[in-house]
Amino acid sequence: MIIDSQLMSFFTAGSLIVIGIFAALFLDNLIKKIIGLAFLADGVNLFIITMGYKAGGIVYILLPNMTISNFAQNASYPLPFALVLTNIVIGASTLAVMLGLIIVLNKKHGSISASKILGDKGEKIE
Amino acid sequence: MDILIPLMVIIPIASALFLNLLHKNDSTIKIIAIITALILPVIALITPYGSHYFGGYAPLAQNSTIAQGLPALITGTQLFQFHPAITYVFGSAQQLMIFILVLISFFAIYTSINETKKPSGVYAFLMFMGTASVSAILLSDDIFNLFVFFEIAAMAQVGIIVASGIKDNYETALKYILLGNIAGPLLLLGIALLLGITGNVNITDIIFSIKNGLVDPYSPAILMALGLLTFGWLYASGLPPFHTIKSAVYSKALPHGAALLQAFSVFSMVAIGVIILRMFAYIPFTSTAIIGISLLAMVLGITMAIVQTDFKRIIGFLAVGELGYIGIGLGLGTAFGITAGLFQAVNEAIITAFLFIGFGTVLYKTRTSDTRKLGGMMFVNPKLALLVLLSGLAMAGIPPLNAFQSKLMLIQASIQSGLPELGIIMILLSIVTFMTFMKAFYTIYMRPKPAELEILENKIPKSTIISLVIFLIICIILGLFPQIATNSLQTLATGLV
Amino acid sequence: MSLYDIILKRIREIQEKAEEEEPITNVTASAMLTAELTLIASLLIAVVMIRLIHPILMIIMIIAIFIIAIMAMPIMPKLRKEQNDSFNNMIFYVVIALGIIIALFYWGNLNV
Repeated sequence: MIIDSQLMSFFTAGSLIVIGIFAALFLDNLIKKIIGLAFLADGVNLFIITMGYKAGGIVYILLPNMTISNFAQNASYPLPFALVLTNIVIGASTLAVMLGLIIVLNKKHGSISASKILGDKGEKIE
Repeated sequence: MDILIPLMVIIPIASALFLNLLHKNDSTIKIIAIITALILPVIALITPYGSHYFGGYAPLAQNSTIAQGLPALITGTQLFQFHPAITYVFGSAQQLMIFILVLISFFAIYTSINETKKPSGVYAFLMFMGTASVSAILLSDDIFNLFVFFEIAAMAQVGIIVASGIKDNYETALKYILLGNIAGPLLLLGIALLLGITGNVNITDIIFSIKNGLVDPYSPAILMALGLLTFGWLYASGLPPFHTIKSAVYSKALPHGAALLQAFSVFSMVAIGVIILRMFAYIPFTSTAIIGISLLAMVLGITMAIVQTDFKRIIGFLAVGELGYIGIGLGLGTAFGITAGLFQAVNEAIITAFLFIGFGTVLYKTRTSDTRKLGGMMFVNPKLALLVLLSGLAMAGIPPLNAFQSKLMLIQASIQSGLPELGIIMILLSIVTFMTFMKAFYTIYMRPKPAELEILENKIPKSTIISLVIFLIICIILGLFPQIATNSLQTLATGLV
Repeated sequence: MSLYDIILKRIREIQEKAEEEEPITNVTASAMLTAELTLIASLLIAVVMIRLIHPILMIIMIIAIFIIAIMAMPIMPKLRKEQNDSFNNMIFYVVIALGIIIALFYWGNLNV
C-alpha cells in the first residue's frame, strides 16, 4: 500500500503544530520553549508547501517547447512557495531577536527558566 | 494607479533605515526625523483616493490593453476577475486613520527627541518602522502582505519596549514576542487555509469566491480560518487573553513610545477587524463573537485598571478597556454602529496618546510611576495638570470633547440594533473609567506631596506642551464637528454591511 | 453587620493574605470594592441579553449568576491574581482562548 505523501505531509504539519504548542506551554526551559515555537512555525510552513503540491505536477516554469494548455494543467501552484520563503525569513529574524533577549536575560538572572525569569513581579515597581 | 499611495509606506521605511545608519549624528537625526514625520501627514492628506497595484497590473477585467488576445483559458474563467498584484486601497476612511496615525507618530517622535537627552537613530528607526507597517496594514488588500506587516509591527513594538530602559523591560519584551510567535504562525495558518480553499490571498478575491459560490461558504476550512484570524486579531489588538501582556507592554515603554504603541494596537484592531467583517459577516456567529470578546475586554480592562497602582499600567488597562467600545461598534454590524466604532477608534487613539504623554510629564519630573509614592504635582505645574485633567475628561466622554460624540453614537447604535443592554454597560463602564482616572489624578496631583518624593528641577520641554495642546485642539474639533470624521468613515462602514 | 461591611471585611482579609508586604489602605480596598461591583453589575446586565435566546433561560441565568456571585464574593482579588504578569499563566490562558475560539467557530457554526 502506498501512503499518500500529501496526506502524510499534512499529518506531519499538524503534529509539528501540536508539539510546538505543547512545548511552548509546558516546558520551562526558555530555549526549549523557543524550539517549540520554531516547530510551530515550521509546521505552518510545511502545511503551506503541502497545499501547493500537485501529484505528478511539473515545476511552474514555462519552458520553450511547452504548450500553454499543457503547462496550465500540470504546473503546481507557485504562490504557496513564495509565501513560505517570506515566512522563513520572518521566522529567522524573530528567532534571532528572541535568542538575543534570552542572552541578555541570562546575563541578568543567571538562569533560563521561564518560571524564574518571566514570573509575576507583582506590584513592585521602580 | 497612484504613485503617492505606496509612498505612505515607503517613506517611513526608507527614512527608518537611513536614520539607523546615522547612529551618532544627533542634529542630523533630529532634522531628518522631524522632516519625515512632517511629510507623512501631508502625503496622507494630498493623496487622491484609489488603488495601487504592486508588481503588476490591475485585474484583467479592468485592464483592456493587457486583456487583448488572451486565450479563452484565461478570459473565460474567474482568472479574468482576480487581482494578480498586491493591491493597496486608499479611501476616505484609510485617509483619516492614516492621517491620525502619522500625526500621533509625529508627536511621539517630536516629544521623544526633545525629552531624551541624546536623540537615538535606532529609536526613531523603530518608531518609523512601526508607523510604516501599521499604515500598510490599513492600506493592504492582500492578506499575506498584511501578515508580513503584522510581524514587522510586532517586532517594532518589541524594539520600542527594549529601547525604553525601564526596569524589567526585557522580560516584558520577551513575553510579548513569545506570545507573538504563537499568534503569528496561527494567523498564517488561517491565511493558508483561505489560500488553500480559494486559491487566493487577495481579500477582494476571497470575498468574490465566497459570495459567488466558487467555494462552500460554510466549509469547515473557512470556519477554522475565521477562528484563527480572530485569534491573530486578538493578539494584534490586545483584547483578552492578551490584555495583560498588552497593558504591560504599554507600561514598559517610555510615555511617547506608549502613545505610539497604543495607536498601533488601535489601528491594527480596526484594520483586521474590518477585514474579518468584510470576509465573514455572512456567518451570524462572527458578530456575536466580536461583541462577546469586546464586552470581556471592556469589563476586564476597566476593572483591572481600578486596582492597579502604577499609573502607566492604569492607562494601559484603560486603553485595553476602551478597545472594547470599538469592538462593540464593529460587532453591531449596522452601518451606523460600524461608523461609531471606527469614530471611537480615531478618538481613542488621540485621547490615549494625549493621556500617555500628559502623564509622562509626571514621570519626567519625578522618575517614578508608582501612584503610592506620588502627590502634590498640582503645585508644580497647574496648567499641565489642567491639560491632563482634560485628557481624562475626554476619555470618559464628557461633552464637548470627541469621545462624547462617538460614545453617544455607539449607545444609539446599540439601542437601534435592539441591544440596549450594551448601551447600559457602556455608560456604566464610562463612569467607572472616569472614576479610575480621577483616582489616579487625585493621588498624583491633588493630595499632599509625600515627604520623600523628590521633584527634579528639569523643565518640561515646550514640545511636550505643544503636543498636548494640539491633541486637545483635535479633541475639541472632533467633539464639536464630528461630521469631519464620520463622513469619511461612513463610506467604509456602509460598504461592510 | 450589613452586607457592605461583610464584603469589605472579606476583601481586606484576602488582601492581607495575598499581599502581606503591601500596605493596605482605604484607597486599595475601596478600589477593589468598586471593581467588584462593576464586574458583577456588568455581568448581570450582559446576561440580560440571553433574552434573545429565551426569556425564561434569562431569568434562571440571572438568578443563578446573582447567587453564584454573592457566594463567590469577593471575586476581584481572585480574578486579579489570575491576570498576573507570569508568562506561564499568560500562555496558559492564550492556549485556552485559542481552544475556545476554534471550538466555538468550528463546532458552533457546523452544528447549530
